[in-house]
Parts: sequence; C-alpha cells; structure tokens
Amino acid sequence: MTGTVWRHVRLAFFLGGVGLHRLSVYRVDFLLGAGAFLVRVGLQTAVVGLVFRQVPAVDGWTYHEVLFLLGFSLLPRGLDHLFTDQLWELGRKLVQRGEFYRCLIRPVNPLFSLLSERFFHPDGLGELAVGAVLVGWSGSELGLRLTPVQWLAAPFLVLCGALIHTSVKLLFASLSFWTVTSLPSMYAASQVSEFAAYPLDIYHPSLRAVLTWVLPFAFTSYVPCGYLLTGATGRVIWLPLVTAAAVAVALAVWRRGINAYEMTGS
Amino acid sequence: MNGPRTGGALRRVREHPTPLPPAARARRYLPFATGGLQSLLQYRSTFVTTGITAAAGAAITVFLWRAVYADAPPGGGPGGFTSESITTYLLVAQVLQILHANRVDDEVAAEVYRGDVAVMLVRPVSYPVMRFFACLPVVAANAVLVGVPVLVLFALLVPLTTPRPVDVVLFAVSTALSVLLAFLVNLLTGMTGFVTTNTWGVRMVKQSVVAFFAGQLVPLALMPGPLSALASALPFRGMVDGPLTLLLGRYDGVAGAVDVLARQIGWAAGLTLLAGVLWRASLSRLEVLGG
Repeated sequence: MTGTVWRHVRLAFFLGGVGLHRLSVYRVDFLLGAGAFLVRVGLQTAVVGLVFRQVPAVDGWTYHEVLFLLGFSLLPRGLDHLFTDQLWELGRKLVQRGEFYRCLIRPVNPLFSLLSERFFHPDGLGELAVGAVLVGWSGSELGLRLTPVQWLAAPFLVLCGALIHTSVKLLFASLSFWTVTSLPSMYAASQVSEFAAYPLDIYHPSLRAVLTWVLPFAFTSYVPCGYLLTGATGRVIWLPLVTAAAVAVALAVWRRGINAYEMTGS
Repeated sequence: MNGPRTGGALRRVREHPTPLPPAARARRYLPFATGGLQSLLQYRSTFVTTGITAAAGAAITVFLWRAVYADAPPGGGPGGFTSESITTYLLVAQVLQILHANRVDDEVAAEVYRGDVAVMLVRPVSYPVMRFFACLPVVAANAVLVGVPVLVLFALLVPLTTPRPVDVVLFAVSTALSVLLAFLVNLLTGMTGFVTTNTWGVRMVKQSVVAFFAGQLVPLALMPGPLSALASALPFRGMVDGPLTLLLGRYDGVAGAVDVLARQIGWAAGLTLLAGVLWRASLSRLEVLGG
C-alpha cells in the first residue's frame, strides 16, 4: 500500500518536471497565455475599482476587502489549474475520439494517469502569482494581522478550495462517459465558479443557496475570507466536511463512469 | 478541382469572368446560412449551457451594480442611472454579448491553423462573406433560444425600465449594426491565425478588452474622464454602450441619436476596409502543407 503511494508520488515529481520542461520549449505560448491572463485579471480589478469610485462600501464590504476576496479566489483556482486541467480534455474529446482507453491500460490509478498527462499548466502559475500579490497588497492596506492559527489554517483553506474546484470539474468531465462530450456543461460550471470572486451578500438569496449547497463555490473563497478577515469560525468549520463530500460525490461519479465506458470501435 | 495551393488557382477564382448582379451574388451565399443553421441544431443542448453561462455572467454584473445603486435617490444616482435603468443596461448588455458570440474568431482561426481555409479558397465565393452568412443563423438562434429566456428570467427576478417605442426602434437598428461590428472584430481576431498558432491567448485578450471597452461590465458614463474618452474613441463602444444609449433614451435629441448610429456605421465601414486589405495581404503569405 505505502509502496503504491510512494511510486505515485515519485511519478508525480517526474511528470511535473516534464510539464515544467514543456513550458521552456513553448515559450511564446506560455507568454501569450500568461499575458492574456494578466489582462483579464487587470480589467477585473479595474471593474472593482470603478464600482468603488461610486460608493465606499458594497453590502458592508470595502474596496480592499473585495480585492482581498478577488485575490484569494484565484489561489485555489490556480492550484487546481496547475494539476487538473487535463480534465478539460476528457470532457472535450478523450471519450468522443475513443482515446480514453490509454488511461486504463497504464499500471497506475486511471485518474492519476489522466491528470499526469499535463502537470504544471502555465495558467495556474499566473493565477497563483496574481492572487498572491492581490491578497498581500490588499491585506497590508487593510492592516490585517493574522493569528498563528489563521496562518496555519490558510494553506489548508486554499487546498480545500482547490479540491472543491477539482471535484466540480471532475464531476462534469465524468458526465462525458455517458454523453460522449461534456464540454458545454463544464464551461457553464466554470462560469458559475466566477461568482466566488465577489462577496456572496450581493447576490439573490436563491443564487446564494445554489453556491453554498449545490455547487459549493462559496467555500472556495467567500467562507475562508470571512474567517481570515473577521476571525469568525461559524461557517469555516464546515469546510473540511463540504470538501470531503464534494470529493466523495465526484469520485463516485467518476468510478461509475469508467465502469460504464465503452470504447468506440475500429 | 486541382491543387488549391497554387497561386494561379486562387487568382483565377477571384477574377470571376462575368460579374453577377448583387441579388444573384447574395443568393449564392444562402446555402451557407442554412447549412450553418442545420449544423447548429444538431447540438441543441448547447443552447441550454450557453443560457446558463450567459445568465451567470449577467448575474455577476447585475447584482454587483445593484448593490451600488441600492441607496441611490429615485431621481438617479451616479451617471444619471437609477437602480432599474442600470439593471436594464447590464442585462441587455449581456444579451447583446450573446448576439455577438458568433464563433467566427474560433472558426476562422481553426481553419487557418488546420489549413482547411485552402479548400474554401478554391470555391467561387469570398471566404469572409461566406463566414458572415454562415454566422447569421448562429446569431438568430442565440437571440431567440438564449437571449429571450435570459431576459424573461431576469425580468421575473428584478425590476427593469420600460423603454419608449421610438427608442426600441433606434435600438433595433443599432443592434443590427453592433452584430456587424462584432462579426468584423471576430473576423480580424480569427485572422491572427495567419501570424500565430496560439490564438487562444489572443482570443482571451480580445474577449476581456472588448467586454471592458464596449461598456458591458461598466457603463461608459461611469468611467473616469480619460478612460471614458479612450473607450469612446474605440470601435467597441458601438457594440454595447451605443445601442444601450439609444434604448435607455440617454441621448440629446435627434443629433445625439444620429451621432451614435453614424459612429457605428463609420467603424463598420472602416473595419470592413481593414479586414479586406489584411485578408488580401494574408492570402499572399499563406502556406498550407499536405495534400
């Protein structure tokens, strides 16, 4: 058992190195992707700036608090992008073109085999960097002083958020085992995850309920930020439970999907 | 039909022996429009997911700005907007964006990348005009099957302003022009496929820049002076802010309305010219491998 885990860890390091190597080969592609990402986040920050030109606070959130939330929301998203973007390929074409079998015939866990085809997606690095800068800058503007417990909890909060993102992506990508391609639904789910970049208080109650209980993106940024900014623990203690539930549901659907998978002929 | 890669074949195609009357020329492109519609209707579930995506996008901006205008005086808050009119602005902006998502940039870039464009070039039609006709059913289907349901959904949730009939007519004209502008912008974006293979990054930049400077996320009236001046000088304004200025009656008399439409027409003409020139220039350096 420990032998298998150890082998997967070593493989992950090796394949991660391959992924990094790829970045240095396709340098222009990397720069274009990272540049495009900077433009996108830059304009998103500009929109928040323009909103706060009109009012000092939105539903009790100040300018720097919203920027903190926006920046923090990029951290779990970036961590998730870094390792699991191959799931988009599953939803897009692996089942449709009958290529998925290659993940089943390798002597490792099929999910690991699929994800390891592309570690270190460059977008993820851009998101992590921009997110960290935004969080650091707005945190110092707010005069935020984290307690030692909060410092210890922060990486765990990011990790749980990333696992929630991954679970939703895995769930919708696995639908392709039945529907052949699930790209549009993955795209819709990723658009819904954009809600997490802003305070939930501004949304319609029905939308807030969806983001908390159906697709729990609230737990990727709004809930952790509430804890880091105010120290309130009422909601954040549910985070591990929600993460575990999301991962369990997604893995169950994935397993059923592999069992239902039938390769296209020829 | 012999080798599409020889310059001679291309030139022969472009110099059509007998110029056809415009009506006959337009009829030649109709099959592309009906063909586009047929392939679209093969993937009907796409409309549902496009709708969810659009509704989610609209909800973010609508709720963000509604929170700003929650305490605005009834006479109008910043920029002369009321809570209802800013909601209408942002919601209709999202619907316009659905009409502009004509996938021309994806398809042109992909066909240039794969070299399929060569096959298109041997046909006795103009490729950009063919693309325009092929995208019309996409626009119409998106308007009816996605735009209207999203509008109705939000009308049930949040209060909106009712526009004057004359403004609705002006808006309709302006919207038609905005669809043309969106086609041209996407055509030019797709044509970057002639110079780079990573059109994904280019398309993402285009999407963010257009959404911002068209006024889809923040109305131009709420931008600070220099930024608003820059946005007014760019063609993207005619895609969202222009039509909505007319819909909400935020213009000064006839001259104001004419100004909005004239700018749109001017940019449409300018971009058509630009696309035409660049298209010719790109073809002369196009190389397609394989056979």
